[in-house]
Amino acid sequence: MERDMRGRGNPWTPSGLIGQFSLSNNVSSPTLDKETEDAATDNDRSDSGEFVVTMLAKAKLEEQGIGVKGRSSPLLEVGTQETPAFISHRDEDVTAESWRQHRKHVFVLSEAGKPIYSRYGSEEALSSTMGVMMALVSFVQSGDNIIRSEHIVVFLQKGPLVLVCVSSSRQTEQQLRGELLYVYYQIISMLTQASISRIFEHKKNYDLRRLLAGSEKILDGLLNLLDSDPSFLLAAVHCLPLACSLRDSLSQILQKAITPNLVFSILIARNQLLTIVQEKTVIEDARLEPADVHLLLNLIGASSAFQAGEIWTPICLPLFNPDCYFYAYISYLDPPECTVCLLLLSTDKEAFYAVAECKRKIEEAMMAQNSLSLIAKVQSYSVSQVGVSDLRHFMYKPFDVTGCFITYSKMEAPYSSEEEKMRLLDLYRYMHNRIHSTSRPLKLIYHVAERETLLAWVTSKFELYTCFSPLVTKACAITAITKLLRWIKKEEDRMNSLKLVLFPYLS
Amino acid sequence: MLMISPRMASGMQEKQYTPSLLNFFVYNPTFGQKEGEEEKKILFYHPSDVEKNEKIRNVGLCEAIVQFTRTFCPTKPAKSLHTQKNRQFFFEPEDNFWIVMVVRNPMIEKPNKDGKPPTVEYQEEEIIDTVYGAVVKQCYSMYKLFNGTFGRQMEAGGVELLIQKLEKFFYRYLQTLHLQSCDLLDVFGGISFFPLDKMTYLKIQSFVNRVEESLSLIKYTAFLYNDQLIWSGLEQDDMRILYKYLTTSLFPRHSEPELAGRDSPLRPEVAGNLLHYGRFLTGPTNLKDPEAKFRFPKIFVSTEDGYEELHLIVYKAMSAAACFMISASVELTRDFCEQLDGLVGPQLTLLASDICEQFTVNRRISGPEKEPQFKFIYFNHMNLAEKSTIHMRKTASVCLTSVHPDLMKILGDINCDFARVDEDEEIIVKAMTDYWVVGKKSDQRELYVILNQKNANLIEVNEEVKRLCGIMTASA
Repeated sequence: MERDMRGRGNPWTPSGLIGQFSLSNNVSSPTLDKETEDAATDNDRSDSGEFVVTMLAKAKLEEQGIGVKGRSSPLLEVGTQETPAFISHRDEDVTAESWRQHRKHVFVLSEAGKPIYSRYGSEEALSSTMGVMMALVSFVQSGDNIIRSEHIVVFLQKGPLVLVCVSSSRQTEQQLRGELLYVYYQIISMLTQASISRIFEHKKNYDLRRLLAGSEKILDGLLNLLDSDPSFLLAAVHCLPLACSLRDSLSQILQKAITPNLVFSILIARNQLLTIVQEKTVIEDARLEPADVHLLLNLIGASSAFQAGEIWTPICLPLFNPDCYFYAYISYLDPPECTVCLLLLSTDKEAFYAVAECKRKIEEAMMAQNSLSLIAKVQSYSVSQVGVSDLRHFMYKPFDVTGCFITYSKMEAPYSSEEEKMRLLDLYRYMHNRIHSTSRPLKLIYHVAERETLLAWVTSKFELYTCFSPLVTKACAITAITKLLRWIKKEEDRMNSLKLVLFPYLS
Repeated sequence: MLMISPRMASGMQEKQYTPSLLNFFVYNPTFGQKEGEEEKKILFYHPSDVEKNEKIRNVGLCEAIVQFTRTFCPTKPAKSLHTQKNRQFFFEPEDNFWIVMVVRNPMIEKPNKDGKPPTVEYQEEEIIDTVYGAVVKQCYSMYKLFNGTFGRQMEAGGVELLIQKLEKFFYRYLQTLHLQSCDLLDVFGGISFFPLDKMTYLKIQSFVNRVEESLSLIKYTAFLYNDQLIWSGLEQDDMRILYKYLTTSLFPRHSEPELAGRDSPLRPEVAGNLLHYGRFLTGPTNLKDPEAKFRFPKIFVSTEDGYEELHLIVYKAMSAAACFMISASVELTRDFCEQLDGLVGPQLTLLASDICEQFTVNRRISGPEKEPQFKFIYFNHMNLAEKSTIHMRKTASVCLTSVHPDLMKILGDINCDFARVDEDEEIIVKAMTDYWVVGKKSDQRELYVILNQKNANLIEVNEEVKRLCGIMTASA
């Protein structure tokens, strides 16, 4: 997952100015500081309540590392409403048996042993456990360490942060390490790597929670996604299967609505990608990695604040460039259902109004083409469409130059419950690990188990994971695969039509 | 161990280091809990020339790791620690007694130009936890065979006695560990059985009965032919470790003289007894010499309510070996040995040639063995029977396999996967080299087959394996 960061010496943001941005209206945070509030200009709020603008604080982040006295960004709202999906585990009793029985614990702490985040239970209650973890990390030789017991404990050190995962999920250490990296990158996406390094350089026992107040929901959301979303496993992005014509028309709409310094235009529906349009000069150097897209999708999905109107907020894309911010305009195009989201990334922090204007143009064009209702009609693939009776589920990832996208069918009976979905994913994970082993990789795995038969296949052109009923014969399985691949070829225009579209850079 | 593999392209040589033993120690955290007394926890530490503080630190780290994992699962604490350079295995055979083995990961040293130090690449994935975890357990089982449990030692003579015994045993035993040749067979710890027809089997059984009746001191007997087991009166777990001792230590030590020529000085004194070829492998080497002292090794086997200590008498005639176990409380005199020699020697010699004859006859009838065409490993959890056509010779020091080590590791992976669930499963994989590997688990039995059929598809592979299963059931 670690990619070569090809930042071009930061043309976008002067390195010194990295700000935390204040949410002007709704949240009253206890860390409210009068100074920075005054510095904020333009506390506008329109009557309809749709229009919530956050303006950038002019005060610099107190880079001396004493800490930010400003408020947290809208991404990190101090949770006013708790959606059922994010029931807080903060107050769990860490001595109880139920705490021990969680499938996967994740802890983040600083090198000095200061707790930063814990998935279950509050960091305070776990501070002694975290102390032990820190001691273990420093005691054992440097590098990444793993303890194996009934659980696997994986330690990962990235810069001044230490991440620990304790999992009984039977995933491998490489997979868990990859998940910890995602957690690390999500933190980076909120703060940037440069500022974290600077803060800890200056003050080794800084309490990073001060900057991350309210972000637990985002990390919780990421960990839930890592558990339940196959696209993380295959390091690819899941896109909604649109007809070529529809996707092209959407891309064209985005392409036409541009403004200087606008770098990425992204359309998302139901947490799946519709299209990405990217500035031409950027694509010469680097490309938006699937991991960055995952982090963006999580940020948006985990925070219900965006559902109200428009948001303008700094976001860092850690794999693209971990040291600087983009400025993201986020708005749902279909309130109140809020399933289609527009995301415009600019390098210019003052460009809010110009970017908002782009959104209006896009909205108009989409209205004219009735895009929203067309999008609403699109369904995820179901296995029954393939027409093979023994096939229960599949995941397909072509090795395509233009992007890393995957297609998978819905999880249907018998994988309807959360438990069963998790179990199937765990099986895929174990096969993925065996097939991509660094020392003894495989081409094919055919696994007959009690409740299902699985087949995983890697060729030079694609990677395929399929699940059959347990009584399928080998002959039937092979026929089924052949049929499936033929069907996929037919659907190719829907699956592979997602290419990164470029628009010319206007100076 | 160092192996050199010349790399033609660069003309420079890469050195491949196989896994090796770094540390091995035994400790009990309940001893020496007071500040300043930590050294008391350490009961055995290899290598012994390490500084005391480093020993204390390493043991302390293990304690910390075990404690930490107990936070998440109190009943099943840490089994291993993976770091880049080495792997540590933790095993708690008895309450609060811990055995820890540290293995250095295999690595490749690539030379650098211009006198720069060579780059080292560690190959963590090469070490399979289940394999080396089994090796640690075997170390304990072997110790227990010759010394009884730690608890028993403590009762008999306190910590000092335990420390002494540990030192004496492990100092020698660790030298026999050859970590580079550990594989799936170590996980099984199985026993190779000698295939016999009913008649010969009955002959052997009646022989055992006769001897046990005549020499009433004998409590248990085991009968082996050619390093393979035919009959055992011991519990399975005890027999399995005794078998390992016999086949990897005792028999190899004594096999050379037998193979030596008639006039060779190595040939043991037949001692004028031309009636039989029997001789003691443990105990008196020369019955004729009344002054010569002898002793039999003592072993501990489990009983319903604890352990019993036994003399181990191993008596061999040609390729047949009989083990007689007698309670250690009895003193075995020279007279007794002569009595045993007189009784067993001729009968065993006769039996040995009978078996040999039967075996040759059977092979002639059934035709050349079809099985060896297939490369496979078979293990039955219920009777511990194992069979491998992949290993051509496996002793403690040598492991010649006829397949690439990576394929053996794939077998290890499949075995790991089987261990996750109780149900019957089948896993077929195609490796990058186009070899097919099939693993089947059914009814407490495991079968692993390696097929070198690059262009075969799944169905053809399936047919081949079915054919092998057919042959195996027919010859059973």
